Amino acid sequence: MAYVHVEQAVKSFPREDGTDMLVLDGVSFDTKENGNTCLLGPSGCGKSTLLNAISGLERLDQGRVEVVSNHSGFAALSAQLGYVFQDPRLLNWKRVEENLVFALKGMQVPQLQWEERIHKYLGLVGLLEFRKQYPLYLSGGMRQRVGLARALVIEPDILLMDEPFSKLDQLTARKLREDTLEICARLKQSALLVTHDVEEAAYMGDRIVIFSARPAHIVEVVENPFPPLARDLDDVRFIQFKKQLLQTVLNLVKEIEEVSP
Amino acid sequence: MAEQEKVSAVRGKAGSGAAVRSRAKANPWREIVWDVGLRIASIFTLLFVWWFLSLVFPPTLIPKPWETFVEVFNIVTTGAFFAEMGSTLRRVLVGFVFAMVVSIPLGILMGTLRSFESFFEPPVILGLTMPGLVWAVLMIMFFGLTETSAYAAVAVTIFPMLAISIWQGTKSIDKDLIDMSKAFHASPWSKVVDVILPQLISHILAAIRYGLGLAWKVVVVVEMFGFSNGVGYQVVRGFNVFSMKVVLAWTITFLVVMIIIEFGMIGWLERVVTRWRPRVEAWRR
Repeated sequence: MAYVHVEQAVKSFPREDGTDMLVLDGVSFDTKENGNTCLLGPSGCGKSTLLNAISGLERLDQGRVEVVSNHSGFAALSAQLGYVFQDPRLLNWKRVEENLVFALKGMQVPQLQWEERIHKYLGLVGLLEFRKQYPLYLSGGMRQRVGLARALVIEPDILLMDEPFSKLDQLTARKLREDTLEICARLKQSALLVTHDVEEAAYMGDRIVIFSARPAHIVEVVENPFPPLARDLDDVRFIQFKKQLLQTVLNLVKEIEEVSP
Repeated sequence: MAEQEKVSAVRGKAGSGAAVRSRAKANPWREIVWDVGLRIASIFTLLFVWWFLSLVFPPTLIPKPWETFVEVFNIVTTGAFFAEMGSTLRRVLVGFVFAMVVSIPLGILMGTLRSFESFFEPPVILGLTMPGLVWAVLMIMFFGLTETSAYAAVAVTIFPMLAISIWQGTKSIDKDLIDMSKAFHASPWSKVVDVILPQLISHILAAIRYGLGLAWKVVVVVEMFGFSNGVGYQVVRGFNVFSMKVVLAWTITFLVVMIIIEFGMIGWLERVVTRWRPRVEAWRR
């Protein structure tokens, strides 16, 4: 079990004219230890930047980000993080199973475990029969599933996902969301998902952390009253919950429009 | 009734589509026969033109095709061809290896570090614009009539295009994939072998193809200058005794070997290396 502790995260990027663009302005929150957390906010508000800081791809200017896990001893030194990107980012010249091996190699998983894990996680995403196929022969949705399997195969403490369904068509995205939710529930996998889609946040997040626009701070942290497998997109009460969420986010947008001339 | 008509109209369209597809499927041989037939016809046309010209011109200028092919048969069966071709091939390969050993690291460095790029760009571009034949002359003058001048001429001629290919290839590497490999903690070795090199391979292969074509020409010219073996030497020998037949015989056999290497080996290598990419043949007629 693990969670991410973010404390007063501050990050700026240099602009072309030499000034700095403040993206994260003292962001603090904790993710849910035994469940999925969604970072919800308008595009460009720094959610992806924060995710990169958590995964180590970026450095914060101030504040800290810590992955807290209850491993002990040596294992506690490096919590394992799995990353699912917006686009599949597969090595197209390697077969599906070889892409998973790439991740297993990098995270130094003992070779004896590889076959078992590949079999299990490709099976979970429903791509076991395509294990020897090359990615470009698969559809976009299938490739994204391979990306998911790759992140899961290293059995991470936390699964990081950066708008993983935004490049898919509506139907494929919907199916993949359902499957991801189910897989995470079955594996008891904690996930941290970045999204700008309110419905996606309501559907996938046990805890929803709402970001303001840039420079970002946390507006509100909402706990999802519906348990993960009981979120029915057609349920009146769920729709009500979605509407409240949407209202909060819309108010943010209005605030921006009122503030900026 | 209108409903049914609409349905059958749609099915009709789909039906004819299916018929077209099955027609093509039923006759894949037709396409292959047509394709190969055209190629053979092209060669026969050339041979015919040659034969016709040999009737018009004296045999010292345009030898008869049949006699030339007899000569080809001779030089191949006596083993003379393989010996000479072997020398020429050796010179090309050694020069190639030298060029690659230098150009690959340099190309990668030029693609990754600004300073290397700025410093090495002028000489590389200069090298590119130098005619290969001029390099051949320079190397012979410098190294004399030794094997080294052959190796050097080839190496120097193809080095610029190999370096440029790899340099540009390195610059166009997908940064997203590098980020992904960082996210999964790939070792530096894994990053190079699994992520970077495969992206460079297609650039390298293209450069090799182009370079090979040029290398042959350069070696033959070097050999013409005064070596005592190699295909170039044989061509000059034919020239010296004014035997068009000999010149053409050697040229033809040389061409055949070159074609086998270009389309056979390199084409095969390319197919293997791009196995993972679906072929986009659908739009060609």
